[in-house]
Amino acid sequence: MENRITSHEAQWHTSVWPLVISVGILFLGPLAFSFHFVYKNPFLTTLALGIGAPLILLSIAGWAKEGVEDVHRYSEGHGIWAMPVFILPEALLFVGFFAAYWYLRFTAPAWPPPGTPEIPHVIPLIMTIILISSSIAIHIAEKRLEEDNYPGFITWLAVTIALGVLFLCLKGYEWSELFHEGFSPSTNMFFTIFFSLTGFHGSHVLVGIGLFLCALIPAFWGKASKPFVTASSIYWHFVDVIWLFVVSQVYFL
Amino acid sequence: MSAHVKSGFKEWIFTTDHKRIGILYLVGSITAFCLSGIMAVLIRLELWSLGPTITDDPTTYNVWLYMHGAVMILGFQIPALTGWFANYLAPLQIGAKDVAFPRLNAFSLWLFWAGVVLALLTFVVPDPPDVMWTGYPPYSVVTSGNTALYSFTVLVMGFSSIAGGINLIATIIFMRAPGMAWGKLNMFIWTVLAAFTIQLIFVPVLGSAVTMVLFDKYLGATFFNPGMGGDVLIYQNLFWFYSHPAVYVILLPGIGMIFEIVATFSRNRIFNFKVAVYGGVGVLVLITGEVWVHHLYTSGLADWLRVFQMVTTLMISVPVGILMISLVGTLRGGAIDYKTPMLYGVGFIFVFLVGGLTGIPLAMASLDLAVHDTHFVVAHFHFVMAVSMTFAIMGGTYYLFPKMSGRMYSETLGRTGFWLFLIGVFVTFGTMFFVGLDGMPRRYYDYQMFPQLENLHKVQTIGTMIIGLAVITILISWIHGLVAGEKAPSNPWGSRSLEWDTTSPPGPGNFGGRSIVVPDDWDPYCYDKPGRTL
Repeated sequence: MENRITSHEAQWHTSVWPLVISVGILFLGPLAFSFHFVYKNPFLTTLALGIGAPLILLSIAGWAKEGVEDVHRYSEGHGIWAMPVFILPEALLFVGFFAAYWYLRFTAPAWPPPGTPEIPHVIPLIMTIILISSSIAIHIAEKRLEEDNYPGFITWLAVTIALGVLFLCLKGYEWSELFHEGFSPSTNMFFTIFFSLTGFHGSHVLVGIGLFLCALIPAFWGKASKPFVTASSIYWHFVDVIWLFVVSQVYFL
Repeated sequence: MSAHVKSGFKEWIFTTDHKRIGILYLVGSITAFCLSGIMAVLIRLELWSLGPTITDDPTTYNVWLYMHGAVMILGFQIPALTGWFANYLAPLQIGAKDVAFPRLNAFSLWLFWAGVVLALLTFVVPDPPDVMWTGYPPYSVVTSGNTALYSFTVLVMGFSSIAGGINLIATIIFMRAPGMAWGKLNMFIWTVLAAFTIQLIFVPVLGSAVTMVLFDKYLGATFFNPGMGGDVLIYQNLFWFYSHPAVYVILLPGIGMIFEIVATFSRNRIFNFKVAVYGGVGVLVLITGEVWVHHLYTSGLADWLRVFQMVTTLMISVPVGILMISLVGTLRGGAIDYKTPMLYGVGFIFVFLVGGLTGIPLAMASLDLAVHDTHFVVAHFHFVMAVSMTFAIMGGTYYLFPKMSGRMYSETLGRTGFWLFLIGVFVTFGTMFFVGLDGMPRRYYDYQMFPQLENLHKVQTIGTMIIGLAVITILISWIHGLVAGEKAPSNPWGSRSLEWDTTSPPGPGNFGGRSIVVPDDWDPYCYDKPGRTL
């Protein structure tokens, strides 16, 4: 790999990771899901997860390494622009779900449908505060990186990740309480929407944490790609804003 | 390309170069084309005679319909136009050395291949999906077929095209060569930009719809379960909110490619270029999201909504008409050279006109209610989308063949393939209009109630065989060109556009280490300035 760029245009550029991560996604997503939910085969499910997850983690690490070493010099700085363009489709994914939600809610005879318990409002409030503070934390981390203050950057990035993980833990606690009381997506329309929207948002939080981990690990070696950190933090702010929609419309309205 | 450039298997499979990624897209989409083409042949063989012909199981027929529709659109047309053409041509035309994010580009390529693998799994699994390409609930939720395979194929291909879209939009905005002003861009660049803008806005909505189906079928959600207060119309709306604009995602790069071909082989400027870009491409993007409800005329809509959608649907024929006028106007006064790509270019105009003009009556709700679920609609969208865009893909591939392979194809084989294709298309789908008007319903694997249509069905099946022969001829002409073609010069067509101003095939970095600076008096269609090349 080290002799890849001697003269920029003298050879074909290569990277193994796009292929590897695609194979990983194929196993972890469609195949594992199908083996578990369609064919209910625990052995094949475990196998698919066992192949998919390591491949994805390995290729994220490899990809991040190449990114920090910046071997593909064409993309310098454009990452900041790519992220908002990526957020547009992400936002519209939620628009689809919210459109379905409001249509179903307006056509329902009563909302919430009978049999829906009062969802406690304390936990979502705490979660909102956590997520907003994490947005502030990542902003401070970015400032520290601009000052080339690596210890400060690492600290605040770690704080952000910790807050994100805490958020997911609270989400998990809330979900497990509801499952424990016998509520599931098939209970009624409210819970279909509740679990879909909060689960969908939770998966985005997970992706955000993954992006930050990709920034955190090389930072220990004193390396960081500033455009990447900026792009990830834009994504995090987006996830934060989406949560405000979810919490206000699903819990409080 | 210098002789020392290392180029083995590894440089292909792990490549991040936009040209090679484009070629790998081509290989994947042609594979998908052949697969789903075989499904089309099976469908037509089943309809050869009354009663069960080659299968007596309607579910098997449904699986063929699924494979044919879903794979033709998601696996062949969209990847061929937005993957193969856009990846290969866009960076060359703007004078860039590669795309903005080469590894993201490779990622989107391999995700597309993952989608092809998922489509192939249809042959392997015991319960293949049988949900057409639309996946309408409630059937897709209650069927014993594997709807997860359908949903994941859509999601994986969708994510792939979002990644590709981000990449090419960033490339076109930031990586243009110095002096390549917006006014000097090729028509193809404008159409790609428009297509990817549409793709980025609308694909995720389809993603949300198929995710809801996934949730409903496997995780116990109730979005589409009327017993629980759900509503299947949500799916239909979300689905067509994407899938109507998807028609323009396919149309735009296709017609962009045809513009390049027609301008090159007519040695002429594109007629009314600015009007075509703003009034054609631009307006299409603006109003593409307002017409999807015409797919739901028969789903039970309020009348005022039908009237509103009639107006918007008729409106959208205006920008398309502007593009067609520019296309025909470009021919006027040109020195036309009927090489194989140009035959496809002119063939496109005819085929697309037949499809477009039969679309105008279909926009009328009153007529559509009568023929919506008949073969008339099938014939219409095969002319307007399936065949005309396949013409664009075939013509464009012939056009780029010398550039990508460094060899010339055989003109005789190319022309033979075209004429067989054109004849087969009119025999098959021309007849289909009449069968549809006589009441032949869509998606039925048998037509016991219409015994008088048997002969017309036989004609269509024969037409399909002619198309099959055409496709085989085309494939042979490509393989023959690759193996035994003469060496191609760098600019075999005498085009003024930038992509021909480099070796065939271009090496790494595209322009052999040259830095492209675009002179003031150049533009890609400057045929009126004799001798003016870069």
